[in-house]
Amino acid sequence: MHTLGLDILATAVGPHLFWITSRAAGIAALLLSSLSVCVGLLMGGRVLRRRNSDLRVAHEALSLATLAALIVHGLTLLGDGYLRPSLGDIAIPLLSGYKTLWTSMGIVAFWALAMLGLSYYARTRIGVQRWRRLHRFAALAWLLGLAHSLGEGTDAGQAWFLAMIAFVAVPAIGLLLMRLGRSTTITTSAPTSTSIASSAETAGVRQPSVAR
Amino acid sequence: MSASAPTSRRHEAKALAASRRDALLRRARRIRRTVAALAATLFATAFLIVYVQLASGHDPALVANAAKRRAASTNTTESEAASSDSSAGARQSSSGSESSSASEEASSGNSAVTTSQS
Repeated sequence: MHTLGLDILATAVGPHLFWITSRAAGIAALLLSSLSVCVGLLMGGRVLRRRNSDLRVAHEALSLATLAALIVHGLTLLGDGYLRPSLGDIAIPLLSGYKTLWTSMGIVAFWALAMLGLSYYARTRIGVQRWRRLHRFAALAWLLGLAHSLGEGTDAGQAWFLAMIAFVAVPAIGLLLMRLGRSTTITTSAPTSTSIASSAETAGVRQPSVAR
Repeated sequence: MSASAPTSRRHEAKALAASRRDALLRRARRIRRTVAALAATLFATAFLIVYVQLASGHDPALVANAAKRRAASTNTTESEAASSDSSAGARQSSSGSESSSASEEASSGNSAVTTSQS
């Protein structure tokens, strides 16, 4: 029995606790953000329209939980004895020497999600329509985060990780494609509208009557 | 009598509005609690999976590093292999390209792992 116990605890975990915490927070953030994107896209769609207030609350809570998980993901890396990153390495793109492209992608995704998410509380100052157009780029930030996790994540090749991600990311990508398809249809049916000129801006066009 | 009827109707309407508002707030609070519980559960589950994976010697980064060390040790002399034993604690990513800092650390003495992969 003792031999079995020694076999199971083959690796000393203590020195890696910060690393494990960061990985777990990153995985949680990816799952929560995927759910948040799903809910956000459902809000704008015609599905579940009657439950829109519930969806809005869920979207907000999921977004805040994502940001909290991302902060834990970044800050716990500061305590990692192997990477030993500085605050700049985890907060400023292109500064870290470790897998610079993927790391920078994650940092940009975090800042974009934070700004586009938290700007909700200043939307009246920004202008609701303008904020709504800007908020569509949150989906792009989520895709950057997804690429960051698949490109740099330690567990990216693991079956459990891929299954977990596929479970939430595939529906989100499907909803995003549906939304893009719908907005393209709207754009082609009303080509005179100047406000929906760029394809990025047209992602997720909503009728003005449902604007808050 | 005629004045009290609209007043009571107004009170009823206000009570109805208040109850609906309360129900809405209750539902919002319940959703927020559910999301917080979900986030905590997701984090705990991910932590547990990674912890067990690492503790059992199946962590992708550490296993890749151990395999690399084994391959390196077969190509070196016995004395070089003995000195490389002390580099067990270093890790590298299992995916993507390896950074120079990772390979440098892999050959430095930063021991924390006694992996069971053999």
